[in-house]
Amino acid sequence: MTAFARRLAGHLARGLVMILIVTTVSFFVIRSVPGDPMAAKYEKMVEQGMSPEAAQRAVEVLFGFAPTGSLWQQYVDYMSGLVRLDLGQSLTVPGVGVSTVLFSAAKWTILPVLAGTLLSFLIGVIMGVYAAIRRSGKLGDILAISGSLLHGVPQYVLALLLGAVFTTLWPILPQGGTADIMFEPGFNAGYIGSLVEHAMLPVLTYALAGYGGWILAMKSSVVTVLGDDFILAAELRGLKRGFIFRYVARNAILPLFTILALSLGMLFGGAIFIERIFNYPGLGLMLIDSITNRDYALMGGAFLLITAAIIIANIAADLFYTVIDPRVRSGEGTT
Amino acid sequence: MKRLAAVVALLGLATVTACSGGTEDKPAAGGSGGGGGLYTTIDANKPSLDVNGPINPWSPKGNAFWGYNAMRIAWSKNHLTDPNQFYPGIAASWEIAPDNSSITLHLQPDNKWSDGKPVTAEDVKFSIALAYTQGSTAFAIDPGAAGAASEVEVVDDKTVKISQDMKNPSVTFVRGVMDSFIVPQHVWSSVLPADFWDKLKAARGDGADAESARAEITALSEKVLAFAPPKDVSAGPFALERMNPGEALLVKNKNFYNAANVGPDQVKMLNSTGNEQIWNYLIAGKLDSAPFTAVPADVMKRIGATPGNAVVKGFSPVSLGLAFNQAKKPYDNVHVRRGLAYLINRDEVTTIASPEGGTPAVTTTGIHQKPAAEWLGAELGELEPYKLDPAKAEEEFKKAGLKKEGGKWTLPDGTPWKFTINVPTPFSDWVSGAKAVTSQLTAAGVDAEVLTVADYPLYLKEIAEGKYDVGFWLIALGPAPYNIYQRLYGASNGWAILGGKVKHAEAGKGGNWMGGPETIEVDGTKVNPGELTAKLNSAAEDEQKTIVGQLAKAANQDLPVIQLWDYVNTQFVNTNHFTGFPENDSDLLRQPAGVWIQLGMVKKK
Repeated sequence: MTAFARRLAGHLARGLVMILIVTTVSFFVIRSVPGDPMAAKYEKMVEQGMSPEAAQRAVEVLFGFAPTGSLWQQYVDYMSGLVRLDLGQSLTVPGVGVSTVLFSAAKWTILPVLAGTLLSFLIGVIMGVYAAIRRSGKLGDILAISGSLLHGVPQYVLALLLGAVFTTLWPILPQGGTADIMFEPGFNAGYIGSLVEHAMLPVLTYALAGYGGWILAMKSSVVTVLGDDFILAAELRGLKRGFIFRYVARNAILPLFTILALSLGMLFGGAIFIERIFNYPGLGLMLIDSITNRDYALMGGAFLLITAAIIIANIAADLFYTVIDPRVRSGEGTT
Repeated sequence: MKRLAAVVALLGLATVTACSGGTEDKPAAGGSGGGGGLYTTIDANKPSLDVNGPINPWSPKGNAFWGYNAMRIAWSKNHLTDPNQFYPGIAASWEIAPDNSSITLHLQPDNKWSDGKPVTAEDVKFSIALAYTQGSTAFAIDPGAAGAASEVEVVDDKTVKISQDMKNPSVTFVRGVMDSFIVPQHVWSSVLPADFWDKLKAARGDGADAESARAEITALSEKVLAFAPPKDVSAGPFALERMNPGEALLVKNKNFYNAANVGPDQVKMLNSTGNEQIWNYLIAGKLDSAPFTAVPADVMKRIGATPGNAVVKGFSPVSLGLAFNQAKKPYDNVHVRRGLAYLINRDEVTTIASPEGGTPAVTTTGIHQKPAAEWLGAELGELEPYKLDPAKAEEEFKKAGLKKEGGKWTLPDGTPWKFTINVPTPFSDWVSGAKAVTSQLTAAGVDAEVLTVADYPLYLKEIAEGKYDVGFWLIALGPAPYNIYQRLYGASNGWAILGGKVKHAEAGKGGNWMGGPETIEVDGTKVNPGELTAKLNSAAEDEQKTIVGQLAKAANQDLPVIQLWDYVNTQFVNTNHFTGFPENDSDLLRQPAGVWIQLGMVKKK
């Protein structure tokens, strides 16, 4: 087995153990969440005009789907289902598997999170290099201040501001949804344009929220590299500024790739607030809905997916770093 | 950098392709997007759309929208006193036996499903069989259930007769029948076994065989709830064309019996997860109609400023009560409750909490003031109004033995009295209302505070467990008087019907968190409000009037709750594209816009 394969196997084993622990903890935590979904459903039905007896019967039928037996038995059933990749049935959409609901929602989170993070990474890294090189000038100051400001503003505040500006004060962007239903779904300009239009505000929020962190990190990294001996040596050898810039950027960007992979995983958690604000029906909105309805199976599935995303991102970051940094690769040979 | 850009572009392309490839986005056969006459709205019954939901009216998150692509036998008028008034639906007309023992339905003669097949009496009978698995009001299989049907007879292709089991009749039997959803037998036939009606017959008997038959029928409920037809076959004015997670598109069903008078060609249903989103859509002028929504005054102004927007108001059979846990001191003492009622200025509380969606309750009767006027007539004016009166409050508190020290009321033994109201955080009007009440009480010397609870499921659990002294409780959920008084003298106050008899549980036991006494003296006579409430389910109209009068008096003098405000059904319409919306006070405001449209009211401009 090569060193890389050993490393991968180790990561996967640790990842599985972590998933097992998180799944177990979340299973018991979720089921200890106080609140009576049956009573809430009953109330809703009575409010809609149903007689108390009819509402009681309807709730009993509906919650006939809920798992029964002791908590321990439910846990055993849940874990054995998990081994078969069966996450159970949603309580609020009877007969529909949790995995179906999850994957149907997940794609609407992945698209904006991925686009927003990559956008902020690209812009943040490029601006970070400029901010470092021009750190004594006005441009450097402006870039650094923009980074500090945006890094300090919480994601949800940015989302509220963008929402207020682009959907209320200057209503040029849609207030929710993933695409206008009037367009036939498929690979056509109208539908894709509508998808992009609807995703714009969430993407912009992720991008602006991430931008500050990237620019500051890149600036700091570039400044550190600029002080390295090999840059001085390159300058002494009369290398052109363009070449030196490439050396600096390539070396400075290495640690940021790790953070990029990690932040992709973490952003799934942050999506909860953004999707709520923009009524963008991804994993976050689904999770809020499942908590309100105490849909234990769906909550468990959502937490599992978010956990798995973070763990996979961690593993990917580590492996990616191995690939792109020769120093780490050479270190492998000695183990 | 070029390589990176290419990777990003490819990733973007792949994601867009993945998002467009989901099964929920595939267009159904035969329809088209685009076109004129698009009506945009939000379904109050299913505000949160779910692309995974089946096109199944019994599924709580199904994509069968009442009045649009899901049809009932008829649509209730929710009349203030008569539960047997309806608008036509699947049935064009009906005859109700004078003693409520049966109803004969005459189906719309020219109605067809959206796939062209006729809507028949067999479809109705089959749908009733499905309803039995769900335990609907008129189609309950539990022994002794009041108002259950005993026979369903297909008289001819367009006529069905349904008889009530007169061993335990109910005045709401007809309403229970009319509220049934009708689905196409040719699509749903696989869901029920061929011998379903034999099983049902067996289930109505006694003994082990009957029990086993009941278990088999109940087991079918899961299959019914989970059934997902591959495409929408609707008998309503529209059929579901396609959905995405944020919107649903319904297109006109050309086979609908009244298709010529259906104004919109298409309906776009928007997803909504909260009031704020509805406000924003309204401010942007994007909704042709919007369901009942609590709206603060400043938002109301902005909504009104949008061209075409108009507000329509009507009766909403709901009131808000400040409910007491009488198992806790000092709330076990009626004089304390009365004293508090005299200290609360309901006009001011309503103005602060629900200026657009409520009117101050005239007094506590347990009924919304509109039906109260119908049921009680002049008697309503004779009840104690509990108008703001600090002197009377003081008198009542003194009768309860409370003491005033240093301007603050204390318990009879001199210990401090902390008046705490619990409310669920997401209900902004309740939170504002509770704060207004506590400020008024604090000013009058009652040390009061508001505690918020994370969400409604938790609130309901904790209030039922008797954890709160005082909380907010929806009452007057009518229009049937039995349902109305169940909120005050039903399970939450200790009364339950067991084996056809009304039993009362002690305070704190059997779900009795209100902890009221089993009997109350009204006009010198001891009455059992739980028994009176149960009687409302089967009493004739005259007798109902007497009982309602007694219960209103009981509620008025005993105050298990202080009725704060009566809700107003505040809806929004936009007349830029369509006209013919229901007017103020129309009973149709209590039905979804799909019903207005199918009745031919809403017209393209």
